[in-house]
Amino acid sequence: MKKENYILIFIIGILIVVSNSLFIVNEREQVVITQFGKPVGNAKVESGIYSKIPIIQTILRFDRRILEWDGSANEIPTKDNKYIFVDTFARWKISDPLQFYKSARNEMLAQSRLDDIIDGAVRDEISNRFMSEIVRSTDRKMGVYESELESGNEEIIKKGARKVIVESILMSVESKLEELSLGISIVDFQIKRMSYNRQVQDKLFKRMISEQNMIAEKYRAQGEGSKQEILGKQIQREKELISTAYLTSQEIMGKADAEAMDIYATAYSKDSDFYNYYKTLETYKKTLDPSTVFILSTDNKFLKFIEE
Amino acid sequence: MSEELKDKIPAIDFNRLRKFLFPLLLIFLIMMSVYTVDTNENAVILRLGKYYETTPPGLGFKIPLIDQIYKVKVDYQYKKEFGFRTLKSDKKSVFKTRGYENESWMLTGDLKIAEVKWVVQYKINDAKKYLFNVKNVENTIIDISEAAIQLMIGDRSFIEVLQAERVAIADEAKIYMQKMLDKYEIGISIQLVQLQGVVPPEPVADSFNEVNRAKQDQETLINEALQEYNKIIYKVAGNAERMMTEAAGYAVERVNNAKGDASFYESILVEYLKNPQITKDRLYIEMMDVVLSNNKNKIIIDKDIENLVPFLDQNRLGVK
Repeated sequence: MKKENYILIFIIGILIVVSNSLFIVNEREQVVITQFGKPVGNAKVESGIYSKIPIIQTILRFDRRILEWDGSANEIPTKDNKYIFVDTFARWKISDPLQFYKSARNEMLAQSRLDDIIDGAVRDEISNRFMSEIVRSTDRKMGVYESELESGNEEIIKKGARKVIVESILMSVESKLEELSLGISIVDFQIKRMSYNRQVQDKLFKRMISEQNMIAEKYRAQGEGSKQEILGKQIQREKELISTAYLTSQEIMGKADAEAMDIYATAYSKDSDFYNYYKTLETYKKTLDPSTVFILSTDNKFLKFIEE
Repeated sequence: MSEELKDKIPAIDFNRLRKFLFPLLLIFLIMMSVYTVDTNENAVILRLGKYYETTPPGLGFKIPLIDQIYKVKVDYQYKKEFGFRTLKSDKKSVFKTRGYENESWMLTGDLKIAEVKWVVQYKINDAKKYLFNVKNVENTIIDISEAAIQLMIGDRSFIEVLQAERVAIADEAKIYMQKMLDKYEIGISIQLVQLQGVVPPEPVADSFNEVNRAKQDQETLINEALQEYNKIIYKVAGNAERMMTEAAGYAVERVNNAKGDASFYESILVEYLKNPQITKDRLYIEMMDVVLSNNKNKIIIDKDIENLVPFLDQNRLGVK
């Protein structure tokens, strides 16, 4: 073998040793150095290049970012004995990788520890609260159907406490984690979804349907009522119009008759004898028609010349 | 080393190697140290694992092996749909809403269930934070979006959710989401939260339609009654008007007749007064003329004849 080949092998050997003693920690990671399985020195929580004893020491990389925790929906009884499915999520962090490695070992195990801790805290808090406290977050006055107010639905009146509940679960988890010193810190906890079980849901839907049917009936009844009211008004108006017209026309005719009478009286009073005479003759003309039988005596004024 | 082995491992000819290797290495190095950033991207450079810089679109240089490049689409609107999915986005988009009840059915403040569909649009506004602070950013946005909307719906009654509060819910949810995301330092900015539909859940939907139908029935009833009202009242008003007009007509006639009669009477009175007896006689004769000239039943008896009447043919005279 040539001399150059030995040099090449030597260079490769050096490279392996150097590369085994240097390592890079990037922005997403943090590293624990272990020696025969035991952690040595401080954890490397800043990014950059670091060194270690080659071969003897090995490195363990942990995530430095905020990590997910997604709970499964649990059915929990509330203080007012209603069952509710609560689906939650949390965000957490490996805050002390050395401690994390010692107690939780890896993310998967840590997740299952979190399951126990968070689910427990949720159960404790939810079962100690009324349904509407859990759903609502403030005590602002809500607009509801009149029928609901009338029935005095107490659930609506309860003050909302959702934010307080979430805050208190977060705090309880926080102190539990500290107590257990898992090297984990919780960043956030939230209630994602809430739902009823099937039976409660079906019952609710039935109630909602009957409520709507009631409202529909009310509209129809109101319509019928308005119709009758309009018909009543129609009759009222009818009578009003006709009677007013009757009143007015009687007034007009009465006045006219009175005026006529006055005119006649004024004219005829100028010589009432002549009027009587004249009028009587006029009446004779009208009433003594061709069928009248006249038996005229010769001493009648009209026949006085016959007698002579 | 045996001869056979020596044959199998070819001796390295450094002179020949240098000829090819050097230019090849050079080309390789250049390729390794140049990178491009697209127009809507930013590139984040880690040097030996540590954040070095964020570069805008264009051509950039890096130290091979030492620098790591992450490209992030910062100028892009991401969109997430909740309670439904767009299957085909076109002029006539196709949506799928069934099967997302888990997402869309939520409890309202009065402990009912509303179906809520919404979209969230967001942008990456800080590539470094986006890359290094949170694992699985997309899930985080989904979780927070659901929590925010559920929180807002949970504090409002069913009818408020359906009617008046829709804009407020979207606005408040947007603020809440941004606050949460900022707490995580996730590098995301929420551009839009929009409620696409807030409706009663499918099993009760028909009863809500029934209410709408009832409202229409109510209006129909009222309209029909009003129509009937107008029809009748116009007719009656016409009749009333006629009654009064007729009365006015009567009045005019009555007064005019009276005036006419009076004026006639006054005229003849003037003549009468000039010569009362003569006029009286003339009038009497004229009257007799009118009455008797048309009459066939005239019997003239002398004034001295007594008790004639009983002998007359009563039948012919039509006396009963």
